[in-house]
Amino acid sequence: MQFPALSPLSALALCALAFSAHAAPSVTRLTPPSELFASGQAAPVIARFLPGQRFDLQATLRPDDAGKSISSARFAIDGKAVNGNVALKVCEAACLKGVPANATLASVRAVSVDKPGVHQLTVTATQSDGQTVTATGNFEIVPLVPGGQKIKNIIILLGDGMGAAQRTAARIVAGGYAQGKSIAPLAMDTFPVTGMVKTASLNSVVTDSAPGMTAYVSGNKNNNNEEGVFPDDSTDPFDNPRIEYLSEYLHRTQGKALGLVTTADVFDATPAGNAVHTSSRGAGTGIVDQFLDDRHLTGLTVLMGGGRKWFMPSTTPGSARGDRSDYAFSATDAHTADIVKGWGASAGALDKDRDLLGDFQRAGFQYASDKSSMDAIDGDKTERLLGLFAHSNMNVALDKIDGRRNKARGITGRVVDDYGFPDQPMLDEMTAKALRVLDRQKKGFVLMVEGASIDKQAHAMDTERWMLDTLEFDRAIALAQAYAAQHKDTLVIVTADHECAGVALIGGSKVSDTRLQTLVREGGGTAMRDAVVGIYEQAGFPKYRMAADGYPDTVDIDNRLLVGYGANSDRMEDFRTNERPLQDGQQPFVKKEPLSAYPAGPMARDLEGKYMVTGQVPGDSAAHTATDIPLSAFGPGAYSFTGVIDNTDVFFKLAQAAVRGVVLPAGLVGLARK
Amino acid sequence: MRLITTLSMSLFHFKRCGAMRYALSAAALALITTLSLGAFAQSIPAAIASGASPPEALRLQDFFQMPVGPKGLVISERLRKAQGSQVRITGYVVQQEVATLGQFLLTPRPVLMSQHADGEADDLPPATVFVRLDVLQQEWAVAHARGLVEVTGTLEVGRQEERDGRVSWFRLQLAPEAIRGMNRFEVTQYLHSLQHTH
Repeated sequence: MQFPALSPLSALALCALAFSAHAAPSVTRLTPPSELFASGQAAPVIARFLPGQRFDLQATLRPDDAGKSISSARFAIDGKAVNGNVALKVCEAACLKGVPANATLASVRAVSVDKPGVHQLTVTATQSDGQTVTATGNFEIVPLVPGGQKIKNIIILLGDGMGAAQRTAARIVAGGYAQGKSIAPLAMDTFPVTGMVKTASLNSVVTDSAPGMTAYVSGNKNNNNEEGVFPDDSTDPFDNPRIEYLSEYLHRTQGKALGLVTTADVFDATPAGNAVHTSSRGAGTGIVDQFLDDRHLTGLTVLMGGGRKWFMPSTTPGSARGDRSDYAFSATDAHTADIVKGWGASAGALDKDRDLLGDFQRAGFQYASDKSSMDAIDGDKTERLLGLFAHSNMNVALDKIDGRRNKARGITGRVVDDYGFPDQPMLDEMTAKALRVLDRQKKGFVLMVEGASIDKQAHAMDTERWMLDTLEFDRAIALAQAYAAQHKDTLVIVTADHECAGVALIGGSKVSDTRLQTLVREGGGTAMRDAVVGIYEQAGFPKYRMAADGYPDTVDIDNRLLVGYGANSDRMEDFRTNERPLQDGQQPFVKKEPLSAYPAGPMARDLEGKYMVTGQVPGDSAAHTATDIPLSAFGPGAYSFTGVIDNTDVFFKLAQAAVRGVVLPAGLVGLARK
Repeated sequence: MRLITTLSMSLFHFKRCGAMRYALSAAALALITTLSLGAFAQSIPAAIASGASPPEALRLQDFFQMPVGPKGLVISERLRKAQGSQVRITGYVVQQEVATLGQFLLTPRPVLMSQHADGEADDLPPATVFVRLDVLQQEWAVAHARGLVEVTGTLEVGRQEERDGRVSWFRLQLAPEAIRGMNRFEVTQYLHSLQHTH
């Protein structure tokens, strides 16, 4: 047989044909995430769930050619086809940059597995030309074992950004030391068990408050900025594959209620990361809407904090509501319609003009707008409670206490007055009210209390403000501890989502406050630092005097505690409390126009004779660190929380205690007396 | 007219001198500009033939009913009347983690924003004014100034969505003269002064 000689062109064509015959569709993402899919290694297992805990399956499938498409996909667990509709969504323009328009997301919503152990997950997709592709991942179902006493109530007190140094500083300020012995411990110091928690997120050793919270209440790692979801390739912040929260799981299986108390804007990541599923912690309108719309899933009964700006219709001045941050699932497109079907979630709507506050009240929530109205609410007769005490974040403890003390002297015009919210409650007062309301719950509750500005003020490297916020947080802890001592089926944990700012207690001031002020006026770096910072034995024992209201009468004491920051940005340090600014009428020098400006570039900063501490992180704020944080536990099952544990482990310990009863961790079992 | 010309030239001279010393002594600059503007202001009635009134001073504390009631903000009558007109507002420049080009925020109390960590869970009070630079200055970053600052511009009240998705309710449009560009020498000096005081 004679073959025609191949021209170079036809040879090339043949080569091209041969090449394209090897191209095939690919799977670029398989959810839940696994090392098996990412790198081929079966361990460590990344995604873990309780028996019966719901989660979504998803895969991103890419055709090998712009002209082709994905015609079908199916999932299997341990080789068995998964029950449930597979929703296909073609990306078009709705996916992240770099993801081709014909890439397809395949999702199955709200699956669950009961059998303990590691399971294999496979996705098989078929391309329009008949080619197929299969990818494999894994996940684990963590068993629940027979235990002892069952826990009825869980209280999670989360000090945002609160590492060991923050706790130590609060103890020095609040309790003082005598010849090396702590005089009065913090409430959190008296918890019998303390462990160390590893806080890494799904995509970094340095986490943020979103995955920092959700690890504790979903048992899974999330990406930074994402809460209650695994990452996906679409730009929609509300369509991500979900993971059932502790609150949802316990509400669904046991009828428990959920309470959220925070000093932050209630839409912020820590409170939202107990009830709302989103890949954008900043999607405020949708987040607060879902608090109400999905309360049948979470059992939300108490919600208190700041953030009133999200609850007003967008026509009300000050409202922050907008369609850009809202949610609305399709009734026809299975990609999001299946979220509604599978989870029983609300479909939502782009409704920036919604009177959310009114809707909460119509849903039976009693509303408190300040401390006075909160005090007037009888917790014993209240079914549901909403408290919105500030426009965004509440003012910090130092400023709230300053407002109260001055008001008692007949002086107004303080920070809280200028913010327009002169009567904000303290975190412990909010916690007390929340506990009264939740105590009515026959099936028990999950309560999350957050000391939010410990972190926010550490970002600002404002030492005194985060120290006092830690004191405020400890007062709330004392209340939770007292409640648990009375209600012996209550488990309390005090923890943090991560450490903030690399706080270091470097020593004590060698000088009096008066001398310090003189040195500040003289200004200049090393001269001031060397004159002030007392290290080693020069630090001594800083002594703060506590007033009757439980806070220091002043933080500008002689020989004050000095704090350095390991994850600091550039800052001007003078070791004094950041000024309480005077009102305009009293300020002698006011800069008038023109203001100085320059083309975009380096940031400007003002000096005023202070001592410049060069930052180790870029920008204007200190950053989170990867350092482990202490977790303290009180109540039945407390011993489960000892050791060096992962933040996701906490979820399984809490669930075990609530579902099958408390157990000792493996290493301690042998110590239990028979 | 000659008097005005002389005065305005010395004002410009003061500004240039002041600028070079800005990085070293903000208080001194404030004093100089206060005095120079004060001198200039006194000559306005003579210079301006029409009955144009000087901009009304508006306090951030007077923007809405204080304290804020149980629901939303209730805009004060004074603010409503001042809409669209020239006003003078005194406040603090918000220290932002990443300076927004072409604008800055003015508040009744100093605020530091950690935008990366907090996003819109921020410490901004309800009376936050979005101060806009002139349209030709949209790519400029305003040097963060500590202490109180007084700005004059056209007041705008109403809901608006900003580029980053935030909703603003109070805006002040500055005239181009309100902002003075630092020349390269001044910027270098300024940055140099950040390293240590002289």
